[in-house]
Amino acid sequence: MNNEQESKEIIKDIFFEVFSNLDKNDFSWEKEQKDYENWDSFAQLNLITFAEAKFNISFTLEESIEIKSANDLLRIVEHYLT
Amino acid sequence: MNLIDFLGTNVEKQGNKIAIIDDETKITFIELYEKVKKFSTNLEILNQEKIISLVSENSISFIVAYLGIINSGKIVHLISPEISEINLFNQLKSSKSKNIICNQSVKNKIFNYNSIETTIFDIEEILLKQNNEKIKSSINELAYLIYTSGTTSEPKGVTVSHSMIEFTTKNIVKVLGYSNSDIDLLPLPLNHSFGLGCLHTSLYVGSTLVLLKNASNLDQILKSLKKYKITTLASIPATLTKILNFENKKLEDYFSEIRLIITNSTAIPKKTVIQFKEILKKGNLATYYGLTEASRSTFMIFDKNNGREESVGRCSPNVEIKIINEEENNLKFGNILIKGDNVIKKYWNNIEADKNIFDNWLKTGDTGYFDKEGYLFLKGRSDEMINIGGEKVMPIEIEQTIKNIPGIEDAVVFGIEHEIFGQTIKLNVIKSKNSDIDKSQILSYCIKNLEKFKIPSKIDFVEKIPKTDYGKVKRFMLK
Repeated sequence: MNNEQESKEIIKDIFFEVFSNLDKNDFSWEKEQKDYENWDSFAQLNLITFAEAKFNISFTLEESIEIKSANDLLRIVEHYLT
Repeated sequence: MNLIDFLGTNVEKQGNKIAIIDDETKITFIELYEKVKKFSTNLEILNQEKIISLVSENSISFIVAYLGIINSGKIVHLISPEISEINLFNQLKSSKSKNIICNQSVKNKIFNYNSIETTIFDIEEILLKQNNEKIKSSINELAYLIYTSGTTSEPKGVTVSHSMIEFTTKNIVKVLGYSNSDIDLLPLPLNHSFGLGCLHTSLYVGSTLVLLKNASNLDQILKSLKKYKITTLASIPATLTKILNFENKKLEDYFSEIRLIITNSTAIPKKTVIQFKEILKKGNLATYYGLTEASRSTFMIFDKNNGREESVGRCSPNVEIKIINEEENNLKFGNILIKGDNVIKKYWNNIEADKNIFDNWLKTGDTGYFDKEGYLFLKGRSDEMINIGGEKVMPIEIEQTIKNIPGIEDAVVFGIEHEIFGQTIKLNVIKSKNSDIDKSQILSYCIKNLEKFKIPSKIDFVEKIPKTDYGKVKRFMLK
């Protein structure tokens, strides 16, 4: 598994942990915040916290606000890892 | 009855019994009484002040000095030997004490404090003086003064009267069943309400008190249980939790003769309570809720049939507790107020702090609730509340959850500033020995067991969590 694939797996795991009722078939990289039943500001905070812990990085406030989908999170994480 | 009456009664009933054991030194009730009288006579000749500061580690000399100062009609200002120069300076200024009595090692330390100009006496020097004068002083209404080191940055002077001590001691004996057949192990400092309450109880019932100087020396505590055939142990919860990790296999043997372990109201991890319920074959673990200002206001005996491992118990006899919210309505959850003969009437020279006492009710600053059977559950200090975007959280709830994670020895949470939420939760964790737990594992546990606004946004692994001698977290020092 290359680095990007590894990051993708970790981010998927984060989404399933934060959204415990998220079905595997319902996950998509493009699915947006507004399409999640319970992606509120606290869930946003949890996503960021998990990602910071798993990748040992620290997001800026602007980056935290930018994240509206799994793709957004992956893009910002990749920016830190490359 | 005052404390000297406690001692005098045992001199009459069982004068030759060992009252105190300190390492290899033992003293009977008669010998203790004679030393106390000699100390008070010599002290009175030395000065006429009404308040005397006492700084010493646990020892028979400490107890002689403590009772001797009281017997001379003065108030004892109790100070921890660990006190910093600035805190000592502030306490002496606030208390207006002009004399310090201490042991030799403390004396050497204080002599190096340039800001301290108070007269310093050595306990042993006072005892060695030869005086034949007979002085009979009347006992002061107040017994001692303690500045609450506590969990906030501004200590308050608390004066405790003999009538408060008598009331509290009788409640301890009534609820926890102390008697003169007990042998009590005390590894806690005597300059604090918890340790002092244990001393007073031993003096009242006439049991033998075994003093230790260091509550962190687990090996010495365990060996002392066997060596002295100890029946009661006083300990802070952190020590009990460490004992479980230190020597789990033989614990039932060490605690085989123990009828009581008394601990204080600092949150006890549920798993520690459950494990000690198993270990104690002949006895019980008990806790209490109290402040220096209102000692032993509740008691909780964790007997095997009572599942309330996170409660501090029911009100002590003739003590009232009520829960109010900001509108002062009686509600299920809110601020805890206490009323009873164990509660101070006022603070020492502190008009601002006196506002916390009205109509004999003490506003404790703690929050909690009663269940239907009248058991009190603490939820932390009202000023510790964390407000995360309008969701209010007490740290203790999160800490209790996190302490249940295997591989975590201790944890503390507190609020940190956040640009969007106002505050979010920071978690500082001490890993257990050989634990390889990481932040992700902690977060995974949290998200399964806590609401999402209670998930820490920052986690740090730390070596130490700042605490008072009695295990209460110094939250103002957290970052």
